[in-house]
Amino acid sequence: MTVNKCYDKEYIQAVVQERTKWEQETLKGKNDTGDYNTYSGIPIKLIYSPEDVSDINYLEDIGFSGQPPFVRGVYPNMYRGRLFTVRQLAGFGAPEDCNKRIKFLLDHGATGASLLFDLPTIRGYDSDSPEAEGNVGQCGSAIDSLQDIEALFDGIDIAKVSSSIVTHLPSTTVPILSMYLVMAEKRGVDFKDLAGTNQNDFIMETAVGSGPEILNPRQSFRLQCDAVEYASRYLPRWNPISFNGYNLREAGTNAIQEVAIAIANAIQTAEEMIKRGLTIDMVARRMSFFWDLCNDFFEEIAKCRASRKVYYDIIKNRFKAQELRSCLMRFHVQTAGISLPAIEPLNNIARSAIQGLAAILGGAQSLHIDSYDEAFSAPTESAALISLRTQQILQNETNVCNTVDPLAGSYYVESLTEEMVKRINSYIEEIEKMGGLVKAVETGWLHQEIANHAYQEQKGIESGENKIVGVNCFNAEEAQSAEIEVFEYPATEERQKAKLIELRKNRDNEKVQACLNRVAEVCRTSENVMPTVKEAVREYATLGEIQKVFRKELGLWKFPLI
Amino acid sequence: MDKIRVLVAKLGLDIHWRGALSVAKLLRDAGMEVIYVGNQFPEAIVNMAIQEGVDVIGLSTLAGNHSTLGPKVIKLLQEKNINDITVVIGGVIPPVDIPGLKAAGMVEVFTPNTPIDTIVKLIKKAVREKKAASA
Repeated sequence: MTVNKCYDKEYIQAVVQERTKWEQETLKGKNDTGDYNTYSGIPIKLIYSPEDVSDINYLEDIGFSGQPPFVRGVYPNMYRGRLFTVRQLAGFGAPEDCNKRIKFLLDHGATGASLLFDLPTIRGYDSDSPEAEGNVGQCGSAIDSLQDIEALFDGIDIAKVSSSIVTHLPSTTVPILSMYLVMAEKRGVDFKDLAGTNQNDFIMETAVGSGPEILNPRQSFRLQCDAVEYASRYLPRWNPISFNGYNLREAGTNAIQEVAIAIANAIQTAEEMIKRGLTIDMVARRMSFFWDLCNDFFEEIAKCRASRKVYYDIIKNRFKAQELRSCLMRFHVQTAGISLPAIEPLNNIARSAIQGLAAILGGAQSLHIDSYDEAFSAPTESAALISLRTQQILQNETNVCNTVDPLAGSYYVESLTEEMVKRINSYIEEIEKMGGLVKAVETGWLHQEIANHAYQEQKGIESGENKIVGVNCFNAEEAQSAEIEVFEYPATEERQKAKLIELRKNRDNEKVQACLNRVAEVCRTSENVMPTVKEAVREYATLGEIQKVFRKELGLWKFPLI
Repeated sequence: MDKIRVLVAKLGLDIHWRGALSVAKLLRDAGMEVIYVGNQFPEAIVNMAIQEGVDVIGLSTLAGNHSTLGPKVIKLLQEKNINDITVVIGGVIPPVDIPGLKAAGMVEVFTPNTPIDTIVKLIKKAVREKKAASA
């Protein structure tokens, strides 16, 4: 008889018998009341045993690292082969200011860069447009033209340092990725040496973030796919998309929804790419993901493990990928900004460190640890350094990176992982029954899901059911909040405006207009916009000018909220 | 007292709508009438507030534009001689900016983790005082 489960039937029967006896004799009279659930609502038992993993076949359902279904990690030797990239976000002020912060982090041992842009950049307005007032250089760096991208990466070897470019929206990704590529051409860097990631997710444009002018979901999705298609053909080491579970989670979803919605986007993207004549292997090998690791330690680890399995199954069995590399769910983690209160902010160092540990135990490929002053402003240099140091402490002092997936085999973690797999799959199925994620956005379903979750979670905090130490439990008599240094953004608006005046004076405006007209023409067809946008930014067309064309040609849409 | 009417807006380009919408719903639960208008710039916010005849404008921003666009809303109200609308603001606001916002006429500044009961209490108090002053 072939034994295909970890434990044979008789052994499990013996365990059940012993457990029943234990409950009646040992546990009897002990307090075991109340409902315990994970944040996503999965019931938690008092104790787990082989009984809870009795259906699992180790070789088929878990396996070894670097082998299907990749529960234990995407690479065979995981962190012994390559440690996760220490990728701390930087973004504020003019690109010249932000360049200094990137260098500061790299000088202190960060192994990758991660750039954040201000909201006018993200939402496609130049620094001198009326909409940008008050937001230039806040929450991120201001980028108006190719000049700014060059200033941002001044003195940074883009053939060596991998960069995560957090463009959020597809309509921002297309021009900024184009600027990055033109910069590479001007520096003589081969496209095949460019390593990095763009965020590029249409739900950031249409559901997760709100804004005064929003492209309609279908066209936003089209731009997302244009960038993916271009990179799949010409940028072998570039991840042109990072399916963004993180901001979804921050906006208001649980761990199951976070993963399922991001994968639903991956499914629709893969389908679209196949329609455009690419193979699944051309596309999937460079799709990447972005997870938010919150406070429910074991559930977050189980989420990471489960997400790899769900993704493998879809890419392999549904899309029939030929290469194993295509089936690897590689993800970046950022610790949960939403979990960091303004009250007693130094406690946030502890919260973020624990979340960072979960990311490592979950097998992340790169990590950003949030700073304790998240609830006040962008991090100060010293707060950013503590985050970087936290990563280095985890990597170098705790020994947690020395063995692969150390929580495997925990009855609880394995049973939770299996349950997450089931629940993620059934949520994906729900979205697919609606006609896919674009449809789920168009109908406003996704917005309702997010809003409902955020509201319920807030009610839990108000009632004290969701505990936050120092906020709704163990409150200090005098809540201290402002005893820390808070980052002040450098004045940026005037500097960016002055640069724009010069730029518009010195560039060939006729050429720029001709390029923008060409972008408009391509928008009206189903051609890929990337090549024409690339030519436009080479002539120093600004981000705002290109976005204006997108808005006019591709059409706006009303954000469907109450 | 009649139901308090509140207009809740995301200020300018700020993309984070979670807090604004959650507060909007919780104010509704507390018996107020709430109109959530999404992302708007100061002129539109003031015009909508007048059209809707609200008692309170609640601005939300986590984007660092509180000290520029926030006072602009108050200034526009003053220019139109509107004295009976209370303006409050909430979001990620560094403590150092609070005195400036108060001096500009912001009645309350709510930082992260302010309990909804506190928000409700302070809004009710502000509206009551405003009514008493203009009566």
